[in-house]
Amino acid sequence: MTPKEQTELIDALLDGDISEADFLRIEAELSVDADVRKAYYNRMKLDLLLEKEAAEPSVDLATQSPNRPDPKLRSSRVTRAVGIFIVLAATIVGVVFLTTPDTDRDKPTGVTKNEIEPTAIGFALLGGQSDAVWEGQQMGTGSLVPSGELHLKSGLAHLELFSGVQMVIQGDAVFSIDSAMEVSLKRGRVSAHVPDAAHGFRVKTSHGDVVDLGTEFALKVTEESSRVEVVTGEVELHLQGSNTHRMFEGETLELSNAGKTAIAQVEKLSLISPDAFKRELALRQSDHFKRWQSHAESLRHDNRLVAYYRVDSKQPLSRQLTNLADSDGAKAGNGAIVACERTKNRWGHADGALDFSRMGSRVRVNVQGEYRGVTLLCWVKINSLDRQFNSLFLTDGHELQEPHWQIMDDGRLFFSVKKYDKKTKSTRTRNKHNFYSPVFWDSSLSGKWLMLATVYDVDAKQVTHYVNGEAIGIESVPDDYLVETVRIGSASIANWSEPMYRTDPEFVVRNLNGSIDEFALFAGALSSEEIAEHFRIGNPN
Amino acid sequence: MADANHKNDDSQIVGLLTEYQMPLVVYVRSLMPGDPSANDVVQQANARIWEKRSEFRLGSNFRAWSFAIARFEVLNHRKRQARDARLTFSEDLEQTISSELASLEDDVLSRHEALRQCLGSLKAKSRQLLMQRYGSTESLAEFATRRGRSVGGLKVSLNRLRTSLAECIERKLLVEESR
Repeated sequence: MTPKEQTELIDALLDGDISEADFLRIEAELSVDADVRKAYYNRMKLDLLLEKEAAEPSVDLATQSPNRPDPKLRSSRVTRAVGIFIVLAATIVGVVFLTTPDTDRDKPTGVTKNEIEPTAIGFALLGGQSDAVWEGQQMGTGSLVPSGELHLKSGLAHLELFSGVQMVIQGDAVFSIDSAMEVSLKRGRVSAHVPDAAHGFRVKTSHGDVVDLGTEFALKVTEESSRVEVVTGEVELHLQGSNTHRMFEGETLELSNAGKTAIAQVEKLSLISPDAFKRELALRQSDHFKRWQSHAESLRHDNRLVAYYRVDSKQPLSRQLTNLADSDGAKAGNGAIVACERTKNRWGHADGALDFSRMGSRVRVNVQGEYRGVTLLCWVKINSLDRQFNSLFLTDGHELQEPHWQIMDDGRLFFSVKKYDKKTKSTRTRNKHNFYSPVFWDSSLSGKWLMLATVYDVDAKQVTHYVNGEAIGIESVPDDYLVETVRIGSASIANWSEPMYRTDPEFVVRNLNGSIDEFALFAGALSSEEIAEHFRIGNPN
Repeated sequence: MADANHKNDDSQIVGLLTEYQMPLVVYVRSLMPGDPSANDVVQQANARIWEKRSEFRLGSNFRAWSFAIARFEVLNHRKRQARDARLTFSEDLEQTISSELASLEDDVLSRHEALRQCLGSLKAKSRQLLMQRYGSTESLAEFATRRGRSVGGLKVSLNRLRTSLAECIERKLLVEESR
């Protein structure tokens, strides 16, 4: 192959415009010849750089004139930092849109449309909150903070900007995060801790801008004025016009449309610093954990509880999962842990959850008895849904009257109870009815703890799927598919055993790529209030 | 204090992620040449790296670590796209590419500098053609039609321009090296 042919084939390859025969030719060359690979890498880089140039031509090329400094930006260092963080934030955030699964793929009918919205775009994460009430949709801790104007009506919120800036905002506050380096504050109180890497971080108010030079500061903005208090370090005020003014540790100034006034000996803004806020949240969480523990303790005596497994962080080596259900209804034995590794639970306690991502991982259980309906509930952290079926709780094989509970690769919950076998099926096309929830999971939820629950209510003849205590889908059970007594027998948590009638590995490998720290099985149907309550008390955030 | 460490780690990961963005893009694209969804996969990989940041040990090889995550995302993507499967390299070749790109010196920045200079020495019309082609998301055929050119002729022009730019860049890099 001549060098010319080579570059032509590489170009065709990179243009995505290559025949199969040519693809095989260039692949063969690439496989054996390091120089061809080098040429391939370099051509690739050239492509990439040309794309970059086309998107944002370098100044001297586009205008054929020397660099004109942008008057809005004060130093190239800041420009670069802002640019980088915006790019980074955009790449991190962009994914949310790009990976929203196509929801129209064989969507089941008869399901209420109440899908959980995918997280919106932003430059920051909500690191924690305390009694926070947001206007509009409430934000979950750990979620991306959307762009645009936000209104924290009351309470405190801790924001972690991608630039490393930590902020505590106290409601009532109206603000927007314009980039990882710039926040506009219309009204409210803010304290900010700015690390070295984010010098130049700016808070804009209608009375002037506060530019941080590496410090901690607090700010209170009302319609009439903005008060700035430097806790440590130094900030620069950019007032109306081109006035700037430096402020140092301990100084407090009030800005208004009339200008700036020094304020001496007034009471401090007394806004909690981001660090102190985090410590407080950790303390609260431990209170919260204790409350949940006592709730879980009383739950043990609930007569409907058949099986209740919680991973005990104090026994990291135990391969047994004790059935904590202490009721007359408890007919399940202890679980046997297979292959799983220990990981942090949703409270952040080491060894408090089981990670099922290793192939073959599962918890084996045996549940005797027959139940008029069931409620399945678990706390789960999903890394990704990379199997066609991702197990939550499946009986071995799939015998008559047995339930299967799993998640489809497109992010829908799946529940079924087998009604017919081959002998009884003859006039019907299906042996069971599959109850799908709407899509609830996409990769923006990866790594987040969720509470999933599904209720099979025989009396109401309906199946309800819940995510984080809220019903996301209700479907009636068709009369000829209603199974009045559910049986379980041998089953696995987060995997499937004894796949008797399928042998293709794609279908058979079903372990959940994720972790579980709590699993409960109830006889009969829990009410939506009970599920919501279980979430409220068990939610660490 | 654990909090302070965590904060520190995050900003360091942000730094690393920024620093290795171009190599990551080159890597993902080299595994999926000509596939317009490569950018999506890079985004996906970025998000995954960010999610997994706590698993990264500062001081260990970020490039290798992030490439491994990106590789997984490429495979994942293929699985999702299985229905309209594109041609893909053999497992062996992909392994070779992965290990080479993980160890090769990252010269994208100096190449960018050189490219800027080389672009300046192209004829204005040629430069314009390149900028329009690379600034467009149309397929080659659509782009050719809009400009009233044959696809074959356009391919030849672009190939020549790229080759002369590539030669110019190599010369400049050589000069820079010998300085």
